[in-house]
Amino acid sequence: MRKIITTAGKELLLLKRDRTGLLVLFLMPAILVIVITLVQENVMELTGQKNTRLLFLDLDEGGLGNSLRGRLSDNNFAIVVWDKRQKNSDALQAAVAAGDYQVGVVIPEKSSHKLQQRTEGMLEESKADDMKNAPGKIPVDVFFDPGIMPGLRSGLTAQLQMALETIAMEAKITVLERKVTEIVGQFGLARDAGPLPTAGLAALFGRQLFALQDGGDSARAGTTPPYNPVQQNVPAWALFGMFFTAIPIAGAILQERRSGIWIRLASLPVSHLLLFAGKVVAYMGVCLCQFLLIGLIGVFLFPYIGLPAFVVAGHPLAVLLTVLFSSLAACGFGIVLGMACKTYEQASTLGSTVVVASAAIGGIMVPVYAMPQTMQQISIISPLNWGLTAFQDLLVRGYGGAAIVDDLGRMTLFFLLCILFAWKLARTR
Amino acid sequence: MNARNPSLYKKESGIALEANSLVKRYNKSSRPALNDFDLQVNKGEFFGLLGTNGAGKTTAVSVFSGFFPPDSGTVSIMGMDFRRQAHKIRQIIGVVPQEIALYDKLSARENLSFFGRLYGFGGKLLEARIDLCLQFAGLTDQATRLVSAYSGGMKRRLNLATGLLHAPQILFLDEPTVGIDTQSRHLIHKQLTALNLAGITILYTTHYMEEAQELCSRIGIIDGGKIILQGKPNRLLQQSGSRNLEELFLDLTGKQLRDT
Repeated sequence: MRKIITTAGKELLLLKRDRTGLLVLFLMPAILVIVITLVQENVMELTGQKNTRLLFLDLDEGGLGNSLRGRLSDNNFAIVVWDKRQKNSDALQAAVAAGDYQVGVVIPEKSSHKLQQRTEGMLEESKADDMKNAPGKIPVDVFFDPGIMPGLRSGLTAQLQMALETIAMEAKITVLERKVTEIVGQFGLARDAGPLPTAGLAALFGRQLFALQDGGDSARAGTTPPYNPVQQNVPAWALFGMFFTAIPIAGAILQERRSGIWIRLASLPVSHLLLFAGKVVAYMGVCLCQFLLIGLIGVFLFPYIGLPAFVVAGHPLAVLLTVLFSSLAACGFGIVLGMACKTYEQASTLGSTVVVASAAIGGIMVPVYAMPQTMQQISIISPLNWGLTAFQDLLVRGYGGAAIVDDLGRMTLFFLLCILFAWKLARTR
Repeated sequence: MNARNPSLYKKESGIALEANSLVKRYNKSSRPALNDFDLQVNKGEFFGLLGTNGAGKTTAVSVFSGFFPPDSGTVSIMGMDFRRQAHKIRQIIGVVPQEIALYDKLSARENLSFFGRLYGFGGKLLEARIDLCLQFAGLTDQATRLVSAYSGGMKRRLNLATGLLHAPQILFLDEPTVGIDTQSRHLIHKQLTALNLAGITILYTTHYMEEAQELCSRIGIIDGGKIILQGKPNRLLQQSGSRNLEELFLDLTGKQLRDT
């Protein structure tokens, strides 16, 4: 054990004196997590995964505008209302086109009056022989940010249409209720003697018969914060940085192999496995520091730049285990890379290609569920995918330690295979 | 180091190193780097292994120091077989590779401390050995400087001293004076002679014939992975009628370039 600590201490001392290497190890994932999270925060807005910012201009100022705003505010809209005395429809269109808002709604003048007229005349129209002469629809102007996804646009249109139809339905029922009351009265009957209740008809017809249950995101209630890019990106880019430590590990081994140090080490009464163990201990510490740094950025810096704070909810020990096992896999990869390659250039090119490719197929850059079916099947071979799945189980889905055992097992197996292969190479090189 | 502390060693007789029928190929298709290589070095000897580039000197030292095993043949050191007693053998051999085997970003003291701890030393004993090594290399005043700031000669001296840290019984030196100034070479020669006088068995590979003639009690000339001639330098010169080792060497190995 003393010899492992000696080797680990030497590695850390060498790393401490390699300022460029340290910068790459800590600065690169820190910058990536900030930039990518900010970018994805914007993407979430464009895909409707966040509150939709709606700009509302009520030129009518009747009951229709109030009803519509009331219905929309219940449906995940962040509504900003403009005063018609200060702004007009063109200004609203420009603001939406500039991307300041995702959708803009303009209620034209006299819309409420028209609604009342149409509903009042509804029963008269039904008696007319020619229904084709019925008056046209009441226009409500809608503008969309050109940058939003088509799916979000369709969804927003459907929500607006539904809200307007509900308001129209309520207005129609109100008229019908009044008409029924009049008819019942004309026949000299008591108000409650007719086939329909004369009062509260609108409320009766307006009562919802179906309830679409939003089960949320299946996360265990109360154990995790709502899904956001921070909960995805902090562990994802920390993992990416951790796997990049493979390159300095390989570099350290290649420096030893290319100089006489490897021959000297081979002549010492210590095994290659012990020397590998020293490197693993040292770089696992580095990986832990990387995760801590990125976690602290997520917790303390993100709120200052308009992002949600990173939350480690539920199982901090399981999160720590995931960090340690991920770094174990990263160290194993670094060691085998250092033993298999002949030059630092080979190791850095091969290492960075493998890490970036593993990150891409492992869901670090694009979530696995958004990939084609074939890529989703391939993603399970990526050690970064195992680490990310474990982090998501803990931080997004709210599962406990039992849920990550299989992922930790895969990472351990990967580490052991890497070390076994590296040891075989060490005996022949 | 041990010249100043000769009590660490005592003169013994017997065989220090014995290699029988060693064959080593780096690739299956290539010609063997060691080809039926036989060698015997007695305890207390200063043995010089002379050869052209690619003759097999470094491969032989690598096999003797346990860096890799031979494809066939046997090696025993101080009567111990590498295949069965590698750990014990590694405690009594010292290896000074041809390349500088030191961490550039560590100081001399940090390098010595690291390798010393891997030999299992610690505390005051380790500090005492480090001080002796620094004294041996003439680097006591420069002990805390990073090795990257050292001159070639300083690195070579420290490289040699590191191989002596654990007071080995047999020392393998692979061209330890390549590319250094005359003063450093002179110091190294002086220290090696003193070490040998103190009882350390030395196997020394070199290109420099005058160096071998000056230092070695016995030499072996290796060509094509095989020892083609061995004996005491003076006796070999008498037998061959050559004026010096260089002439003998060229007579044996030819004057053609040996680019490998």
